[in-house]
Amino acid sequence: MSYTQQKYMNPYVAGVLLGLVITASFVITGQGTGASGAFKDIIAAAVVKFTPEFAESSAFFSRYVGAEHSPAKAWLVFEILGVIVGAILSGALANRITLKVEHSPKITSKTRIIMAIAGGSLFGLGSQLGRGCTSGAGLSGMAVMSASGFIAIGAIFGIGYAFAWVFKKYWV
Amino acid sequence: MKERLFTSGRNMLDIDPVLHAWHWEIPAYLFLGGLAAGLVFFASFYYLRGKEDQMSTAVKIAPFIAPIAIVVGLIFLLLDLKHKLYFWQLYTTIRLDSPMSWGAWTLGVIMPLSVIWPLLYLDDLKKYFWNKNIVIYEIIDWLERLINDFDIVKSIMSWLKENQKAIAWANIILSVILGVYTGILLSAFNARPLWNTAILGPLFLTSGISTAAATIMWMASDHYERIRFSRIDLWLIAVELFLITHMFMGLTAGTQASAEAAELFMGGPYTAIFWIGVVAMGLLLPATLEIMELIGYKVPIAIPAFLIIVGGALFRFVMVDAGQLSKYFFQ
Repeated sequence: MSYTQQKYMNPYVAGVLLGLVITASFVITGQGTGASGAFKDIIAAAVVKFTPEFAESSAFFSRYVGAEHSPAKAWLVFEILGVIVGAILSGALANRITLKVEHSPKITSKTRIIMAIAGGSLFGLGSQLGRGCTSGAGLSGMAVMSASGFIAIGAIFGIGYAFAWVFKKYWV
Repeated sequence: MKERLFTSGRNMLDIDPVLHAWHWEIPAYLFLGGLAAGLVFFASFYYLRGKEDQMSTAVKIAPFIAPIAIVVGLIFLLLDLKHKLYFWQLYTTIRLDSPMSWGAWTLGVIMPLSVIWPLLYLDDLKKYFWNKNIVIYEIIDWLERLINDFDIVKSIMSWLKENQKAIAWANIILSVILGVYTGILLSAFNARPLWNTAILGPLFLTSGISTAAATIMWMASDHYERIRFSRIDLWLIAVELFLITHMFMGLTAGTQASAEAAELFMGGPYTAIFWIGVVAMGLLLPATLEIMELIGYKVPIAIPAFLIIVGGALFRFVMVDAGQLSKYFFQ
């Protein structure tokens, strides 16, 4: 076995496979895929656990009160666990797993981490205002021909392109 | 006649129909106890086999975690007690038919022994933490100077070193008792059908030893030792899967109460968390990664080690939680 790093999968092939994953998700679980929803479930469960009075009185968090809303029973939480497992396995198969921060040579690891957390937080906030992220609102929405899915994907990638010029020095 | 009304004593909301007595402290303690038992076991085992230098992480380095795990575990246990100041009463009696008595006495003896063991390897610990963690290094250095400052402590330490073989023998026996006890503590609780199975003792022992093997594997810098513990861990995972299968076979073939206890994991509320969290991610995935490593793929050992340790902890949380939900009364 050689230790050479293998290339990444062809993105078009990966895209088709992702489409099949969404189809399989609908067939097997009756639900689409998602990402931000898993984190929302876990955060909401933590809010209910540590500040039960606040959760009861909040219009949003009161929907998460009760054992049936436990993240241990949420499909998206297990789906995200699957994403982690798949990432570990595919990384191992390609001899690519190491602990490192990938970043442009022009910036430091610290800058990269700060930018990632800031970008991730903004995306998390945006996904909740837009009622779903790229996977939940965009891909799963488009898979069921929902207009909101097409709008979400258009908005996410459109704004991504629009701001790419501003932020590209942090990446390339 | 309505006998049941006055003979059952069912007006105890924390116990009937579902037990609400044990919270996070107990599974956390059982996990730490099992981990400590495993670490002490491997250290004594390889010492007695004369592999002190070959298995240096297992014998010299990792055992320093054992006393810390035991102390933290006992603090958790104390937190769970209603009458905290009465714990010493366990030491006023020896009851061979009580797992709690076995546990209390075993812990009472293994605790000082597990403190002594790393003290015999302060030089090696210093070498290990040099460049790794300066705070721990300084603490060990201070301890070493403290021992060297007092002639009486120094002579006690050299006497202990001379008698290390005896300590290792005592440790090996006590660690097995400790590991089994973490399971038997639950299975002696005959009012809860999920726990009331004899397989829980060996299962918790295996799981504890497995988390210890993962810890040693993670800490080892020597390739030979790492591979050795990776293989040991694979065997332990296989044994665990075997015992889990038999636990469920036993429960489903048992009384209706046992079958309903198994049902908690086979369609009931603990199904997903147990089969995916404990079995798939805590046993099968690390086993797959370890096999991949053994056949030549590059897998950072931290990943399977971390999964095994988290899986072991989750296993105890699920078992303690689900066990309290399993019951004999059907209304």
